[in-house]
Amino acid sequence: MKTKLVLTFMLVFALLLAGCSSSSSTKEDESGKVVLKFLHKWPQPEYAPYFEEVVKDFEKQNPNIKIKMEAIADEPIKDKLRVILGGNEVPDIMFSWSGEFARKFVRANAALDLTPYLNEDTAWKNSFIPASLQPFTSDGKNYGIPLRFNGKFFVYNKKIFEKYNLQEPATWDEFLQTLDTLKKGGETPLILGNQDPWAAIHYLTGLNQKEVSQDVRMKDYNPGSGEFTDPGYVKAMELLADLNKKGYFMKNVNSSSHDMAKQLFFAGKGAIMYVELEEFADMDKNMKGNWGFFPMPSIADGKGNQNFITGAPDGFIVSSKTKHPKEAIQFLKFLTSKENSLKLVKEIGWPSPIDGATNPDTALKEVAEGVEAMKKAEGMAEWLDTDVHAKVADVYLSNIQLLLDGSKTPEQIIKEVQKVAKQVQSEVE
Amino acid sequence: MRFACPFLEGEDMTRTFRNSRTALLFILPALLLILMFVFLPIVLNLYNSLFRWNSFEVGRAFVGLEYYGRLFKDPIFFTALKNNSLYAVISLLFQVGGGLVIAAILEDKLIRRFQPFFRTVFFIPSVVSIAVVGLLWQLLYNPEVGLVNGAMKAIGQSEWARSWLGDSEVAIYAVVAVSQWQYTGYMAMLFILAMQKIPYEYYEASMIDGASKIKTFLFITLPQIKEMILVGTVITVIGAFKVFDEVYIMTNGGPGRSTEVLGTMLYRAAFRNDEMGYASTIGTVIFVITLTLSLVQLKLGKSGQEV
Repeated sequence: MKTKLVLTFMLVFALLLAGCSSSSSTKEDESGKVVLKFLHKWPQPEYAPYFEEVVKDFEKQNPNIKIKMEAIADEPIKDKLRVILGGNEVPDIMFSWSGEFARKFVRANAALDLTPYLNEDTAWKNSFIPASLQPFTSDGKNYGIPLRFNGKFFVYNKKIFEKYNLQEPATWDEFLQTLDTLKKGGETPLILGNQDPWAAIHYLTGLNQKEVSQDVRMKDYNPGSGEFTDPGYVKAMELLADLNKKGYFMKNVNSSSHDMAKQLFFAGKGAIMYVELEEFADMDKNMKGNWGFFPMPSIADGKGNQNFITGAPDGFIVSSKTKHPKEAIQFLKFLTSKENSLKLVKEIGWPSPIDGATNPDTALKEVAEGVEAMKKAEGMAEWLDTDVHAKVADVYLSNIQLLLDGSKTPEQIIKEVQKVAKQVQSEVE
Repeated sequence: MRFACPFLEGEDMTRTFRNSRTALLFILPALLLILMFVFLPIVLNLYNSLFRWNSFEVGRAFVGLEYYGRLFKDPIFFTALKNNSLYAVISLLFQVGGGLVIAAILEDKLIRRFQPFFRTVFFIPSVVSIAVVGLLWQLLYNPEVGLVNGAMKAIGQSEWARSWLGDSEVAIYAVVAVSQWQYTGYMAMLFILAMQKIPYEYYEASMIDGASKIKTFLFITLPQIKEMILVGTVITVIGAFKVFDEVYIMTNGGPGRSTEVLGTMLYRAAFRNDEMGYASTIGTVIFVITLTLSLVQLKLGKSGQEV
């Protein structure tokens, strides 16, 4: 009797286990095709069709490869990537930001070293603007292939600027004067939607770079040696807080989203807004001919290189667990071919990292000019929230709203940053 | 049954034994499922909280109770505890207290004719998906175009208008308020169901004795639905300590960390800061808190004696 009970118990248990495990076996296509899983972050209806077309073209040219595509939006993909990488169904090719965001996957041995593939095909390697490959490197090895080359610029409303006879400011002092004139004239000088705090972090990205010397900043941004004791970090936050104290930002920055703020800018409710190069197409659609742009003005006594531009490429990494590295590279080559890059620039208006793809013939005049400005720049300040360790980024992200509403001072915030940076140092070997 | 057992002999005895064994066989699958998907994860979670690890790395480092020490020194943990407690207290007041009052009013003879209408109206918010509710209220709270500030201005109290979700002083109350809007009707519904089971004779008798409406409510309705009130209280309080979606969608813990609750803190640790061990620690603490609270409540309510 007892054995029967035990047997039943075991049977049920076995059934349960079987039910759990059968779903995780990997599925190879019936017809013997190679299946590549491809994860990107653009499910929006204005961008998704481009990827669908490219995938279709690729499958037509390579009938033995099938691409399984999936898209997850910007904010959720930050969390999902971490979960997916821990599971059994890791995509072969997946989106990643450059800098520390990709490097933490490299440290965990989750990303494939792409250096041999790039060196094998120098024509491919040389087709990229060098500055776009560099942010994806770690210890001199390449881990990512850039798809876009994104930069951050101030855009302004030309009509409002003309009304007050204003020029594009080149220095921070000129910038402050411009803002002051606008404020006195009763305009809202700066539009900012900081509900998701990356918006203000992008200001701080540039300000940190301009205030702190390159060596110190690179040492601090490295999780293994970050200290953040340079006074430049406090100064950078002070400059940002001052913009708010003097009333240059619009009202309710912390409860307006970036998109909502953009609508205000389109409606002429403010003079200047800080946006990404990829949004230029949107600007042109809504304010045809009535907008111009300038990079973040230089700071006279700043210790950083003043000829840097804020921005970074983003693109794709290949999973170290992939069974088909060759096919994955083949797809990435197709994705970054001159032909598809031209198409990318033309159809969705994104700046391409392929040399010569973003030119006045294919792209919007302003986008081409923006890419030109980035090529001329001596370096890039990569996004603060993806270029430092996630825990340090989190301190910045959650405090920047409090900096703007005045409830925390730069000194208080940098103390927290230093504390977490120390903790991170001890955890990363 | 228990008393009968000793007097059973021979075949009767085996039959009872066999019966209970059959019963056991029937609950076995459910028991196994619960063991595998509830109790095993709880134990594993406790074990996981002793390591430093993240979801995409293979290795893990043993850190012992370090994370527990860190948690109890983390100021954000106390912000989160405070916010969860606020959630619990306000929810008890509005959902259980307010729900009771609404239920009693709708059950009153005079209004009962319209009860289906009101019941539906009050119940509707709780069937709307939480993601939709979050986005809806984000718009309502919007300082520029939102209805809430518009209403404040319309009644001439424009100094009350503010940036509801962007002000660290009031943001948590704004978020809690949404939950009250959503679930008070649901609670009222549960109470109405319980009240409908009360025999009408009690009310008749008290009416003849000349008891006022308030007195009937206090001395007949309340004691009769005691069990349901207890269930409601347990659900509300535990829900308040498990809350996640509302906060995540509306403020994601911001501005700053002012609306952080234990749930969002856990999520942030796990999926933003890559500290699964710390997240497991928070998970264990949430479990201990909710377990203690429900045990206390069950003890106080002396449940299990009725129903």
